[in-house]
Amino acid sequence: MPEKVALKGLAAADKYYQDYGLRARELKKQGKKVIGYLCAFTPAEIITAAGFIPFRIKGDVDEPITKADTEMETIICPLVRSCFDMALKGNYEFLDGLVVPHACDSICRTYDIWKYTLNLPYSHFINMPHGTDDASLGFYREVLDTFRTSLGKFAGKEISDQALAGAIKLHNQNRAKVKELYQLRKSSPPLISGEELTKVLIAAMSLPVEESIEMLGDVIAEVKGRGGLSARKQARIMVIGAQVDDIAFIKLIEDSGAWVVADDLCPGAREFLALVDVSADPLAGLAERYLRKVKCGRTYREMKGNYQEYLEDRFGHMGRMIDDFGVDGVVLYIYKYCDPYGFEVPQIKSYIEAKGTPVLYLEDEYSMSTIGRLRTRIQAFLELLGSK
Amino acid sequence: MTEEKKPEERKKRRTATEAASNIGPMVKTMIREVLEAKETKKPIAYSFICCCYDEIIRAMDIVPHWVENYAGICGAKRDAQRFLERAEAENFSRSLCTYALCGLGFDAWREELGEMPPESPWGGQVKPDVMLGSGQMLCDPRNKWFQAAQHYMPDVPVYDVGLPWPAYESDYDYRQVQDYYVKYIVKELKGLVKFLEKHTGKKMDWERLSELVALTDKTWDLIWETYELRRAVPSPMGTGDAMNTMVPIVFMMGTQQAYDFFQDLNKELKQKIANKEGEVPDEKYRLLWGGGLPAWFALSDFNYFNSKGAVFPVETTYRMIEATYNFDIDLSQISDPLEHIAWRWVKFWTYWHDRARKRPGSHPDVERLIKYIEDYKIDGIVMHEAFSCRSWHPGLIWQLNLLKKVYRDIPSLVLESDIVDISSYNEADTRTRIDAFIDTLEAVKR
Ligand code: SF4
Ligand code: SF4
Repeated sequence: MPEKVALKGLAAADKYYQDYGLRARELKKQGKKVIGYLCAFTPAEIITAAGFIPFRIKGDVDEPITKADTEMETIICPLVRSCFDMALKGNYEFLDGLVVPHACDSICRTYDIWKYTLNLPYSHFINMPHGTDDASLGFYREVLDTFRTSLGKFAGKEISDQALAGAIKLHNQNRAKVKELYQLRKSSPPLISGEELTKVLIAAMSLPVEESIEMLGDVIAEVKGRGGLSARKQARIMVIGAQVDDIAFIKLIEDSGAWVVADDLCPGAREFLALVDVSADPLAGLAERYLRKVKCGRTYREMKGNYQEYLEDRFGHMGRMIDDFGVDGVVLYIYKYCDPYGFEVPQIKSYIEAKGTPVLYLEDEYSMSTIGRLRTRIQAFLELLGSK
Repeated sequence: MTEEKKPEERKKRRTATEAASNIGPMVKTMIREVLEAKETKKPIAYSFICCCYDEIIRAMDIVPHWVENYAGICGAKRDAQRFLERAEAENFSRSLCTYALCGLGFDAWREELGEMPPESPWGGQVKPDVMLGSGQMLCDPRNKWFQAAQHYMPDVPVYDVGLPWPAYESDYDYRQVQDYYVKYIVKELKGLVKFLEKHTGKKMDWERLSELVALTDKTWDLIWETYELRRAVPSPMGTGDAMNTMVPIVFMMGTQQAYDFFQDLNKELKQKIANKEGEVPDEKYRLLWGGGLPAWFALSDFNYFNSKGAVFPVETTYRMIEATYNFDIDLSQISDPLEHIAWRWVKFWTYWHDRARKRPGSHPDVERLIKYIEDYKIDGIVMHEAFSCRSWHPGLIWQLNLLKKVYRDIPSLVLESDIVDISSYNEADTRTRIDAFIDTLEAVKR
C-alpha cells in the first residue's frame, strides 16, 4: 500500500473528514484511478472489482452554493446542489469518472448536468428500478450487468465474477466493522459519540475499502480501550433522514445536551448494515442487496398483507433500532425538495409515535445558517423528553 | 381556518382555436363521469399521465381519475391554496410537487369529513378503488404520492408499474439494452392487468385492448401531423391552446373521442392556414416553449405574449407523442398488445438519441430544441421553471447553455413560478420580464 497519513483511528478519521478527498488525491498521484459516485445506491463493489477507488461525492454545509446555480436549478435538493457546487469548485478534480444511480429525482434528473458539465473521461447512469418485485429484481440485475460491461470497457479488462466476489467480500467486511462500531453506541452513556461516529463513516466513504476496514478496526480498538464518555446528557436520540454527510447537525443535537446513539441515515445504518449475500452469481447478490435489503424511501416496496403490516415492512427496522439502542426520541431530519423522504414524513412520524417514541420533524436546507436556526426547536424537544 | 377562504376570481384565457375552447366542457364532463361512476359503483383508478396504462384501463372499463388534472383544475381556478395548506398541516413539505400536495391535502380533508370538502372544484375528487403509480424516470411523486395517500386511505391498494427507459450514454447505444427494458415493462404491465382483475373484478378484454392500442398509434400519428401544421406562417395555433389540447393527449388516449378531437383540430388548422389566419393578426416573433409545465393559474400570460405579436407555434411540453411511422421498428408487426405498448414507450423516450449522436457534444433534449427551432422558424425560447416539480424542470438552464455551445445563441427567457401554488407568482414581475424579452427579440431582429 502506498504512503498514507501516519495518524490512526479517530485521529485519522478526523483528518480524512476535515480534508475530504485527501487520500484519493494521494492515490491518484500514485497512478490510481478514482471513480466518484453519488448516493448509497451506487454498488461500490463493482468499482472496487474493476480496480478503481470508489469515492463518494459529498457536499459542504459551510460553503455557500454559488457556482452550481449557473448550470443547475435552485429547485434541486440542496445536498445535491452542494455536491455539484463542490465539484465545480475543483474539490474533486482528481476524479476519473462519475457514476450516478437512479436514486431520486434530484439525482436522476441532474445526471446529464453532471455528466456534460464535468466532462470526465467516464460516466455512467445506473437505471435502478423502483419496485422490489421479481421482475424489477431481474431487470436490475441486467442493469448492473450493463454497468459491469461499461466500466470494464473503461478499465480495459472485463470485470470477472471472481473479482466481483472478492470485492463483495471486502465491502461486507467493511460493513461488518461498521456494525461492530454501532454496538459501541448501545451502552449508556455510549462509548462513541454521534459526532465521532459520523466523522468516521464520512471518512470511510473517501477511502479504498481495504483502508476503510483498517481505519474502522483501529477506531473500534481505540474506543473500546478509552472507556465510556464522561459527559452527562439527558436523552438518547435517533436521527432519521436522507444523506447526512456533515457532522454539523449531529453536533448541534449533542451540544444541546443529548447523545445521538442511532440513525437511519446514509452514511449510517441504512447504508451499512445490510450485507450482500455471497451467491454463485455475484450480480444477483448485489441486486438483491441494493434493491431489497437497503430500505430507503427511494425504493417502492409492494404492499403485502394489510396496511399495518405494510408499515412494519417499510419502517419496522426503525422501530427495532429504537428498542435495541434505547432511543428516547427521534429527530426526523428532511431536506427541502427531497421527494423520497418528504412524502414519507406523516407515515414515519405516526408509525414511530404509535410505538410511544416522540418525534421531532425538522425541514432543513443543508447549510450552516439554516442548521443553526434549528437549535431552539431541538432544545425544546429535549426538554420535552426530559420532562417525560 | 383555510376552509373559509373563497377562490379568487380567475382570468380566462382567450383561445385561438375553436377546438381548444371546447376543452373546458370536455374536462368538466370527464370529472362528472368519475363522480357518476362512484355512484354506479364502477371501479375508479387514481391515475397519472405518461404511465403507459391508458389503453389497459380503458379496455377493462375502469374509470380513470387523473390526479394531476384535478390539481391543475384547482390551480387554474385559483382554488388550490386551501388544499396545499391542508397538506402542509399534515407535515408535507411545501417544496414537494404541488399537484401531489393539492391531491393529498384534498384526500386528507375528504377522508376526515367523510364527504367532499366544501365547494370542491367541479364536484371534487372521489375516493378511488385502486391507485396506479409508476416507477420511472419521470418523477418520484409517481411512486410516492399514492403510497402517501394510503395514510388517509389505508384500504385502497396501489400498483406501481416499473417503466424505465434507457438513458443517453456515450459508451453504448440504447439498442444494446432495449430488449431487456421491453421484457421488464411487459412483465410489469402483465402484473398490472392481474392486479386490476383482482381488485376491480373486471376482466381484461384482450381483443379490445389490441384495438385500442392500434387506435392509439393512429391517434399519435394524427396528433403529430396536426401539430406539424403549426409550422405555417403565420401560425394558426399557439402553446396557450396546446395547454388545452393536451387534454385528449394525456387524459383520453385510447379513446375514439381523442382521435375525433384531433381530426376536428386538423381540419380547423388547415382551414385557418388556407385563410392565412394566424393566432395573432400581425405575427412578429415565433417562440418555442422549450420546457416546463405551465403555471395553470396564469395561462393568460400567453395572451400577453400574443398582445406583443409573439406566438408559440411549438412546445416540448405535453407533446408526448411522435409519429409512430418514424420509429425504427414497425409497431404494427407487434401483435401482443402489452409488448406493443412497451416498445412504443421505449421508442418514444429514445427517439432523439440518434440525432444527438450525429452532433458532437449534443444531447437528445437539445436536438429536439434544434429541430423545432429549424422546422418552426423560431426566434426565441421561453421556458418555465415550476419550483415544485423536479421532473421536467431540472436541466432547463443546462439545455440552454448546451444549445448555445453546440448550435447557436438564441434569445431565451426562463420564467419562474409554479404549476399550482400561486403564492410563487408575481404577475407584474412576470410581465416586466416578458417585456424585456420582447425588446431583446426586437433588437435581434433589427
Ligand atoms: S436528500 Fe433526498 S432529494 Fe436529496 S439526494 Fe437524498 S434522496 Fe435525493
Ligand atoms: S412530473 Fe412533476 S408535476 Fe407531474 S407529478 Fe411529477 S413532480 Fe408532480
